[in-house]
Amino acid sequence: MTSMTVEAVRLTKHYGGRSAVEDVSFTAGQGEIIGLLGPNGAGKTTTIRLLTTVLEPTSGEFSIAGHPSTSANEIRRCVGVLPESSGYPAYQTGSEYLRFFARLYGLGRSDARNLAAELIATVGLEERAESPISTYSRGMRQRLGIARSLVNDPVVVFLDEPTLGLDPGGQAHVLDLIRTIAKGRATTVVLSTHLLPEVEDVCSKVVILNRGRVAVVGSVGEVISKALIKQSAELRVPLDLVERARNVLAGFPNLTVDQTAGQSDVLNLAVDGAGTGGQSSDIMNAALAAITAAGIPVLRFELEGARLSDAFFKMTSEAEV
Amino acid sequence: MTVQVAPPHVGISHEDRAAVQGQSGWLVVAEQESRDLWTSGRGLILLFLFSILLSAVTYLTSTNQALNFLEQRESVNLVLQLAVAVGVLVTLVVSADGISGERERGTLESLLVTPVSRRSVIGGKLIAALTMWFATFVVTIPYVWVLARGVGILGQALALGLCVGTLVAVGLGSIGLLISGVCNSNKTSIAASLFLMLILFAPTQLPSGLPQGWFFDVLRRANPIDSALAYISSILVNGHSWTQDLSYLITPLLTAIIAGGALVLAGPRLVRLTPGVHAG
Repeated sequence: MTSMTVEAVRLTKHYGGRSAVEDVSFTAGQGEIIGLLGPNGAGKTTTIRLLTTVLEPTSGEFSIAGHPSTSANEIRRCVGVLPESSGYPAYQTGSEYLRFFARLYGLGRSDARNLAAELIATVGLEERAESPISTYSRGMRQRLGIARSLVNDPVVVFLDEPTLGLDPGGQAHVLDLIRTIAKGRATTVVLSTHLLPEVEDVCSKVVILNRGRVAVVGSVGEVISKALIKQSAELRVPLDLVERARNVLAGFPNLTVDQTAGQSDVLNLAVDGAGTGGQSSDIMNAALAAITAAGIPVLRFELEGARLSDAFFKMTSEAEV
Repeated sequence: MTVQVAPPHVGISHEDRAAVQGQSGWLVVAEQESRDLWTSGRGLILLFLFSILLSAVTYLTSTNQALNFLEQRESVNLVLQLAVAVGVLVTLVVSADGISGERERGTLESLLVTPVSRRSVIGGKLIAALTMWFATFVVTIPYVWVLARGVGILGQALALGLCVGTLVAVGLGSIGLLISGVCNSNKTSIAASLFLMLILFAPTQLPSGLPQGWFFDVLRRANPIDSALAYISSILVNGHSWTQDLSYLITPLLTAIIAGGALVLAGPRLVRLTPGVHAG
């Protein structure tokens, strides 16, 4: 059984009369990567700051690795954090920076040196370990920040926009790193980001925040289901087999099949009425299976409305109405 | 691209780390802050500028001595007062950057999520800022040695400068950190600290000092810099004993105790992020 390492219950933070976070509740298990999503100002950074004891909640409670929110020092010992827009001392070298943080966690000079070398290698910065941080690229700084967040062998790592401003190569490298941290160290990773494809890629669970409140929590599949997005698909088959494909698809009563204007070899499929979310995916899958089983070659099959981004836009725009 | 992540580091336990960190968190912060201050060149540049100023003043006072315009004890007093004033000024400026600067550079949050207490962070920063005063004092030693030759006050002058200067530097360094904690912007913090220094330092620069009279005496004694410099003068120039004018040290002592105490008490609330900064 996966033990819960993060448990937030009705977390609320007010600044004066303004509510930054309201009744946020979710859990995360050991080794799980949980995506914290939301538009700007949704409360992602505030939630992370609450869970890492940088801010005190106005109400609500949480526990990290079994330590209640009242044990701030215990929590700080078992979390690692890469803050949003984290700054770095320009004159320190990467290695010196990690040694400093290792010593803040109580390591002696020699242990700190060994750990810094180990973490520098982990994030692939060996060649630049002794260069001043001011000479690092943004991607290198982010990797250094991730290394710093691992200095204390944390049970939970909070990464606030770790891929912000990185090129696709840098993003891929950081995502690989996140995956392997969760797998290799059985560390829970709470990942706040705006990049939805990367969440689909790496996260086992998603929390969508909107205006300080939780809009939805669940696995990527569950979130898409809960969004009740009507799914549609475009199916392209050889022109001479279009009629046969129509006949096969006629066996699905909830499925509407139309011809795409101007493209006589492309069929539009849509699930009717309540056939949405998970049920809709099942119907689409079954329809595709039936077409291939009938020996009709599928030249193209594109599913619309089944992405996390669709669910995200629906969840966050609904609340704005 | 694959990334190799090492297994969790096995070493000192969380409990042992807590014990070590509790003992020396402030020391680690002080060490790193001091290293940053000196290796970044900030400290060295300030010290270099100070040594130029000191060279000029020493040259002028020694030539005045040669012309018998300035008594030798007065020359030592002048250079020592300059060292205290400048040393305290740079300590104040460095400490004024301590918290607000970290906030602005985005490095504070990473520090806040470590188990090192806020008080240890402040303590470490104050010690690092005080290294500026001690470095200023060390630079002053050869100048005082040159000017004090033959009058037998070298040891007394250096001991006096070190004690009084440290007392004032601790007080004003603490005030600098308090200002830094309260101000949202680093520019505001440094400007406010410089303004404070100007207010405290200006009376000492009046051509003939403050006018005589009980009101101006109270004013002098209420100013930690003016009263500290008056104490140094009374011993070096007037030849008073160390205990004779101790009342001059009441304000510097109270400033150190009150500002230091406020820092210890209010520190945990001052070392924090500004509400709403980068909130998402």
